[in-house]
Amino acid sequence: MSSGAAALEALRAVARDPRSHIEAWRSIHPDRKVLGVLPMNFPRELAHAAGVMAVIVPDDQEPVTEGRAFLPEFYCGYTRNLADQAATGRFDQYDALFVADHCIQLLGSADVVRALEPTRPVFLGQLISSMSDPWAGRKTTEMMVTLRTEVETFAGAAIDDDVLAASIRSFNRDRDLMRQIFDARTAGDTAFSPVELQDIVASAQIMDPDEHHDLLAQVVADRAPRTRDGRIRVHLSGHLCHAPRRELLEVIEEVGAVIVDDDLWTGRRYLQTGMDESLAPMDALAQWYGGRNTALPCPTRVQHDVDWDAWLLDAVRRSGAEAVVHLMPKFCEPHMLYYPELRSALDEAGVPQLLIETEHEGIPLESFRTRLEALIERTHRNRPAYA
Amino acid sequence: MTATLNTPVTPVTDRTNRLTSTKKGGQMVADYWEDLFTARERGKQIVWYNGGALNPIFQAAGVAWCHGEAFAARLAAQGLEGPAQLAGAEHGYNAELCSYSRTHLGCAVLTVQGDEGINTGVVGAHDQAELASRLPAPDFFVNNYAGCSTGQQWDEISYRVFDKEVPIFNISHPFLWGNKPDSGYLKGEEWESASHYVRDQLLDLITWLEEKTGNPFDWDMLRESMTYIKKAAELRREGLELCKAKPAPATFWDWISAIAPINFLPGNQELVDYFQSVRDEIQDRVDKGISGVENEKYRVYFDGIMNWNKLGFLSRKFAEHGVAVLAGRYITNAFWQEPQLIDTEDPLLGMAQHYLLCPTNHGTKTLDYLTLRDCEEYDVDGIVFHSTRTCRAFTGPQRLLARSAQNNLGIPSIFFEGDVADASFYKEEILESRLAAMLEGIDVKRTQAS
Ligand code: SF4
Ligand code: SF4
Repeated sequence: MSSGAAALEALRAVARDPRSHIEAWRSIHPDRKVLGVLPMNFPRELAHAAGVMAVIVPDDQEPVTEGRAFLPEFYCGYTRNLADQAATGRFDQYDALFVADHCIQLLGSADVVRALEPTRPVFLGQLISSMSDPWAGRKTTEMMVTLRTEVETFAGAAIDDDVLAASIRSFNRDRDLMRQIFDARTAGDTAFSPVELQDIVASAQIMDPDEHHDLLAQVVADRAPRTRDGRIRVHLSGHLCHAPRRELLEVIEEVGAVIVDDDLWTGRRYLQTGMDESLAPMDALAQWYGGRNTALPCPTRVQHDVDWDAWLLDAVRRSGAEAVVHLMPKFCEPHMLYYPELRSALDEAGVPQLLIETEHEGIPLESFRTRLEALIERTHRNRPAYA
Repeated sequence: MTATLNTPVTPVTDRTNRLTSTKKGGQMVADYWEDLFTARERGKQIVWYNGGALNPIFQAAGVAWCHGEAFAARLAAQGLEGPAQLAGAEHGYNAELCSYSRTHLGCAVLTVQGDEGINTGVVGAHDQAELASRLPAPDFFVNNYAGCSTGQQWDEISYRVFDKEVPIFNISHPFLWGNKPDSGYLKGEEWESASHYVRDQLLDLITWLEEKTGNPFDWDMLRESMTYIKKAAELRREGLELCKAKPAPATFWDWISAIAPINFLPGNQELVDYFQSVRDEIQDRVDKGISGVENEKYRVYFDGIMNWNKLGFLSRKFAEHGVAVLAGRYITNAFWQEPQLIDTEDPLLGMAQHYLLCPTNHGTKTLDYLTLRDCEEYDVDGIVFHSTRTCRAFTGPQRLLARSAQNNLGIPSIFFEGDVADASFYKEEILESRLAAMLEGIDVKRTQAS
């Protein structure tokens, strides 16, 4: 196995079995703490600078069993899975849980963790979500300071500004490298399959950024660019907060599509925005948060002059995508609310699209396959006859 | 989706003894809507708003107001939500989306789509007969949603449905999570700082309204209307307290009927008179030993946002079993429920605090405290949780609350499914069988205790 292949295997292992990675880290760093954070905006740089391992708690794809007793079945799969992790002791890996977002379902699941794990601190540092308000910048800065203080208290160590700046550089470097791969895909390079890309991003959400970067650099060095073939070019949109099932990504490509870009949480949404290293670190954090919604609009935020639909159309133009597949986790209310905006923008632009509602408990893959085939066929008809 | 798609409904004998005074409130509310429907003709500007009761501010700003949830609830209570929900579905809103927002966004879609709507500024002129409404299109949006993230996004989408042509103001509310050891209901640093943050935004809202309307804000009017609202709220609280009596003189369902008046009617003497009459009727019943349901056998707490399609039906159903539903998160811990916080000379802080006190804006720790407190004070035998299908904000903490009530007070509970404004989620058989089982359990416990 080449070193690049081995490095990719290592990333894949972390993405698919984060628990083992966290346990291994703990055994090497017995005196340090592991912080679970919930998507999508908590700045892990703060925790990193305090010597804490900050893991974005992933959906672990286990079926929900005991968790059923704590959240209703009409909560999104991610949040029900979190409740289940807490109910079955799978949350023991984390010393605390920090939340910076306001999705009511996310808060519901955090409250279950708090009730079932009373010794684990569960801190909500709610970042303002109304981004157009004149006071949004000030409130963001204030909250970043609060988060810093809370992380320091949790870690039992003060955060040094220079160390924080170094953490920012580390995360930036890792995000930059991932963004290069995503941008190359947008430009026509299919060197990485969608499942590989998902594993790369999902592992980044768990690992130390330097460790992740080093492995990823080996993977990239080992992989030659590959030109896109004539398959139908598809953009994947949605799936906030957790990863879609890998089988689903595979089936999309099996039916004759090639995924050219996305705005998924375990994709471009995670890595799109970097922090400005020329700013004082706390300012960089605040500006990063404000900039994230502009760089890739999020339906959990409200910002009058920023449109997910317009972003999507631009992305489609940039990548030459011919169709869009919306991956909507069932019961994800922010996505349900914005979906008609996306739908009508794409309709007006004549871009074929398909909505797939995913569920935590398995997916009807064959029925998705049929619907995807129909989309691909329909999209083929859009192509000029000579193509 | 529509009221006609209900599961079969068992005929229920009416053993309720509803307050007669709440009927007057119904008329006041009907008059209010009539007034709103003709507001444009009278040269008024109209605001669509969601969340906490900002109406005193709109009253003092000289604009007419339409509360989004209230309008959706009204359509559902009258079985008229169908056309708006259909329009919403055709536009792409998923049936699992909060049915208040779906109904109200459907109204927005109808307004924008209807040719006559564009000309007349009237919602879905083609569908007026079904909607039984002439809801005027908005001149502004104001969002005042605490707790539930859906509320904020819903208004942003309304803004987009109207092509971003209607100005919008958004108030941000910190969720009262209870991070600090000193935090709790009405106390702690978190409560203080959130209160002042929201108060400051109300001041900005007032400046914004002055700019948009071109009218100076009438501070005297605000003080006056808040004086009436405070008085009405005090009377409402007194009435709620009186319902702790055995047998209960009035029930949750009576208080549900009194929500619209306290939530969005103008602050004036009529409002005070209304709550005075409600309170007095309850006092009179206490004095005479008259109960809100025939032969009260069980006392129950109700948790969940209201199922507006089933209001009358549910009140009869519980009464048929001799169940007095006494209190509930939606009435006891909402709607100007802490009038002592309002300083009528300088009312903004107390108003901000009430918006923050929305019962979806607390972490479960505080809700648990409130629920256990009320269950004890009203001496209930059990809790009925309305598992309100599309309202994640209300349903999120319910399982934890049920567990806590069982563990701390030995109080059993049941869950039944339904929704705020979508009758198709209501499952009659589930409520009937679970309610019967819970009441049997209570009987067994009583027998053992005796
Ligand atoms: S944003 Fe969507 S996926 Fe994320 S927690 Fe909320 S409902 Fe779930
Ligand atoms: S989900 Fe519930 S709390 Fe949230 S906006 Fe809808 S009705 Fe209101």
